[in-house]
Amino acid sequence: MAQIPIQTIHRDPQLFYWILIPITIVMILTGVLRHYATVLMATPPKKQELAAIREQRSLLRGINLRMNGNTVSHASFNARRDYLVTAYEEGAFLKEPEKKGQAAPNPMTDPAAMDGMMGMMKGNMMMMIPQTLIMGWINTFFSGFVVIRLPFPLTIKFKSMLQAGVATRDMDPQWMSSISWYVLCIFGLQSVFNYLLGSDNSASQTAQQMGQMGPGAGANMFGPGQDPDKQFQAEAENLAVQAHHYVLDGVEDRLLKSLKV
Amino acid sequence: MSSSLLHPPAQLSPVVALQLSQQAPSLLQNAPSSISPYSLGSLWSAAESPELWTVYENLMLSCLRTGDEESAHICLERLTARFGADNEKLMALGGIFQEAVAQDDAALKRILEEYETILNKDPTNTPISKRRVALFKTLKRTTEAITALIKFLDASPTDAEAWAELGDLYVSQAMYKQGIFAFEEVLLITPNAWNIHAKLGEICYMAATANEPGSDNYLAESLRRFCRSIELCDDYLRGYYGLKITSNKLLGSHPRQSKTDGGLAPPTQETVQRLSEIATSKLSEIVRRNAAGDSGYLGYDLGEIIAAKELLNKE
Repeated sequence: MAQIPIQTIHRDPQLFYWILIPITIVMILTGVLRHYATVLMATPPKKQELAAIREQRSLLRGINLRMNGNTVSHASFNARRDYLVTAYEEGAFLKEPEKKGQAAPNPMTDPAAMDGMMGMMKGNMMMMIPQTLIMGWINTFFSGFVVIRLPFPLTIKFKSMLQAGVATRDMDPQWMSSISWYVLCIFGLQSVFNYLLGSDNSASQTAQQMGQMGPGAGANMFGPGQDPDKQFQAEAENLAVQAHHYVLDGVEDRLLKSLKV
Repeated sequence: MSSSLLHPPAQLSPVVALQLSQQAPSLLQNAPSSISPYSLGSLWSAAESPELWTVYENLMLSCLRTGDEESAHICLERLTARFGADNEKLMALGGIFQEAVAQDDAALKRILEEYETILNKDPTNTPISKRRVALFKTLKRTTEAITALIKFLDASPTDAEAWAELGDLYVSQAMYKQGIFAFEEVLLITPNAWNIHAKLGEICYMAATANEPGSDNYLAESLRRFCRSIELCDDYLRGYYGLKITSNKLLGSHPRQSKTDGGLAPPTQETVQRLSEIATSKLSEIVRRNAAGDSGYLGYDLGEIIAAKELLNKE
């Protein structure tokens, strides 16, 4: 196959000063601004009431008993298990015992959940508005010409995506317009933001995406939409079937064996 | 034992407290007296860091230990200026300061009433609840301390520190069974804490020597608890000490083949004999190498080494 000649386009060197650098600087500054705006607008976590804390921690106590019950003797374990199973089934730790048996509070109507959702929405707004604005600005002022050339080959289909304002048939897809420089910068500036703002910054996009996907995928234990009574019943069942192997059973022989070696 | 203001040892011995509090004058002068995150001055002066505030807190506690009240007051002021007086932890630190400078019991009772007003307004204030229990303990009102702790633990049963404090209070009243229950709760939260296993061993031993009903079981359980603590940390001097004492006692008495602790058979005499020998040899090794200054053996507390030496000499 014949070597495809590399298309070279003679570019004005001022391209560099007037396009690449301004776009980069604007993106860095908006990122920093976004980070501080998020920090200032963030509401502190709402204080929980005693009854709510009691409910959550009693559930944790059951989980601790299940996971670490081997450290105590059979009698102790059985006594605690019987107490907790009876209490869970009666709903002794529920913060609203009258609502036992009713459906879980709807996240839309439950006021406690609304705050969580507002927080998420605020975060999303902070991401989307600057992105929309900058894209509009770039398309208005910086369209109609190519700016950079990627060092690796691409297929023709990429032309529509990355050479937005320039409709030519023969130009290599390696030449990109400024909107693609913007896209490249979004991903590339994350390490810059990490350096400037510390690793826990709100300007970094993929952290946000991962944050939304990660814990969202796993079940939220104490969040809105969870019926505490069902959680207690489930834990009571888990406790009832838990087998118990006392760790002190035969510890002296194990110790002798390990110390001999 | 090396220590610093960032990581003070858990038990602040008088020597360490003195050392730390002597750094007070230089520290207080060097650090800026007021730190505002927005002021222009923060551009070129030292930025604040979380360590700075930990240092202030530990410095304040060491100064109160040694009686340097002025420096402690300065630390408290700076902390309040930064975090505001509504901060729960700061309220507790302020309470500690007031308790330390109180002159008599009447002042302490006034502080107690302040705590109760705060708790009436906001029952979830954990640091103040704990301060209240500590104040009951200072005033020697142990039963009220126990009641307050039980109420606290009803709302927050996963607080290992509170369970451990409750266990200590029970043991001080010789209520061994309840003390064992409380420390078992600590184990359910932190199952691999070898110091808690050793503490349980000590309580069981105390229960056995006090001739509580079922003392044979207590003695065997005590032996096993110390074995477990050594299994988790194999140069734990406290574990070997306890092992030696319990194994000697078991060899001395002749355990009857009675109903056993939680259904476990009592350990055979031969096992106990071997454990006793191992404990003796390990204890003497630790004492010897600590005295010789071998690396890896210097971290032991002096009091524990002396106690081990005495135990060995008794034989």
